Amino acid sequence: MTEVRLNRLTKIYAGGKPAVDSISLTIPTGQFVSLLGPSGCGKTTTLKMLAGFEEVTRGEIAFDGQDMVRVPAEDRDIGMVFQNYALFPHMTVFQNLAFGLEMRRIGKAEIARRVGETLEMVQLSHLADRYPAQLSGGQQQRVAIGRALVIEPRILLLDEPLANLDAKLREEMRVFIRDLQKRVGITTIYVTHDQAEAMTMSDLVVVMFDGRIAQAGAPAEIYERPKSATVAGFVGQVNLIEAALDPASPGAAKTPFGPVPVQVPPVGDSVTLALRPEAIDIAPAGAGPGTAATVESLQYSGAIVDYVLRFADGSRASVKTIPRHRFETGQEVSLSVDPARFWQLGREY
Amino acid sequence: MRQRYAFLLLLPAGILLTVFLAIPYVSVFLSAFRVPGEGTPYGDGYTLGNFARIFTDWFYIGQALNTMLIGAVTTLATLIIGLPVAFQLARPELRLRGLFYGIVLSPLLVGIVIRSYGWTILLGNNGVINRTLRGWGWIDGPMPLMYNTLGIVIALTHVFLPFMILPIMSAVQGIDPSVASAARSLGARRLSVIRRILLPLAMPGIQSGCILVFVLALSSYVTPALIGGLRVKTTAVTVVDAMIDTFQWPFGAALALTLSVLGGASVLLFARATRMKWK
Repeated sequence: MTEVRLNRLTKIYAGGKPAVDSISLTIPTGQFVSLLGPSGCGKTTTLKMLAGFEEVTRGEIAFDGQDMVRVPAEDRDIGMVFQNYALFPHMTVFQNLAFGLEMRRIGKAEIARRVGETLEMVQLSHLADRYPAQLSGGQQQRVAIGRALVIEPRILLLDEPLANLDAKLREEMRVFIRDLQKRVGITTIYVTHDQAEAMTMSDLVVVMFDGRIAQAGAPAEIYERPKSATVAGFVGQVNLIEAALDPASPGAAKTPFGPVPVQVPPVGDSVTLALRPEAIDIAPAGAGPGTAATVESLQYSGAIVDYVLRFADGSRASVKTIPRHRFETGQEVSLSVDPARFWQLGREY
Repeated sequence: MRQRYAFLLLLPAGILLTVFLAIPYVSVFLSAFRVPGEGTPYGDGYTLGNFARIFTDWFYIGQALNTMLIGAVTTLATLIIGLPVAFQLARPELRLRGLFYGIVLSPLLVGIVIRSYGWTILLGNNGVINRTLRGWGWIDGPMPLMYNTLGIVIALTHVFLPFMILPIMSAVQGIDPSVASAARSLGARRLSVIRRILLPLAMPGIQSGCILVFVLALSSYVTPALIGGLRVKTTAVTVVDAMIDTFQWPFGAALALTLSVLGGASVLLFARATRMKWK
């Protein structure tokens, strides 16, 4: 059980701007943490530095307070799952799992016992004698996870492990990996660019842009109270409203939905408000108080309908709703929002 | 052109191979069983006498075994020298790749006769190596480097090195680099990564390199003829002697056939012994 601490961790490739720019992060023992961000945001580089495959330019990596920066990869006691699985093609499933234990000079009988237990855990006991090329993608993935866990590592690192699987299998594997992680209780760092993966699996989501941490927090916090427009946009659809402060009522800003209480900024006369599309209620026009708008376009995708609505002043908003009432393009509707669903964005990371 | 006429495209290659490969092979095979003639290439009828002559005479058996030994040692030497070179050439971060490729391929850019003569200048009793060593006082008399098996192996190793390096290099380049990373994360040190992961995965290349060099060394003529001279003859050299100098076509054919069968059998045994289950 290991706590991982990164302190001002930095990676600069020769002659470039920092790939990872002074990130600090503490991951408590046993937590499942996702590094989430677009490609090139530094999440994979961070993972490689943790694993010891990439040299650290500056900063510290500590496992339980023990400095790791100068410890070579083979001595870090890390379980790593690669995006392309990186199984040993010339070894059977059993031999793949046994490899790490053999490197630790563990006796044959003990190896057989531990590999057997782990194979059971990843539900592959019946395929122990197969070669990787004879397995499906999902099975190869489970071999990779088993191979990383059988050595009982201090931490588990996963580099976009589900990227090569089809959608249905990906959902199954999310649940599988999360359950397994909870059962083993291992500190886990999971790199992904898929916000749904990060949201559903993690205790803590760390959103990264341009080598920096834009925000770190619980999934609900990241989704419901993102600090910046970039984070808000990366983890889901969002309506951004540039709202002028209302001189008539201090401490409030004017929005198409009426005045919203805000924290008045020290300078400027407007604030940026964000609103998730599912926070807006949509009703037929004239069905009570509300803001009038017109349906500009809609996209029906079964469980939900996405509307684009236009206000009288020409501004637009996205609304996501279950298709209880269907509205057609061009129809007049009435919108209402609980003011508590607005939140005010800070400056960018 | 219609699909069913597509086979016509095979005709040029087919004719070429039939006329210059299949017919000569069949001809050699048949003439190995012909009776030698007096003043003519062949006498009447067929016989196993040519083979009887080979297998009852230790001279020919010993020569064939020595030829196989030359092939095997040359293969081993090119493997030992070529393996590290191939691994280095396969590194993705290698700079000046073109230059190194050129150096590896350079033995193939010079005609085989010139290359072998080059070795006689180096290896001869009054050659560069012997004179230098004598000049330094390390040896008294000349060290025998030419007209023996050692000299032939040295020259053949040089000539056939590229045929070992290139297949291994391409096999190593095909190894996913993250496999080595995975091994390291599991606690494998450099040597274990090489021994347990990289070498086994390079095996297909090592296997084809070995077969290629062995077969080429076994059947090589120019280099053994020039370096071995009259003192050490390989079977291939004796075949040419029989065919051209002493005009014994059936015997030469039988000798050639014997060498082919021995070589083919060795390759089959080697391939079986190094068979990879995971491929």
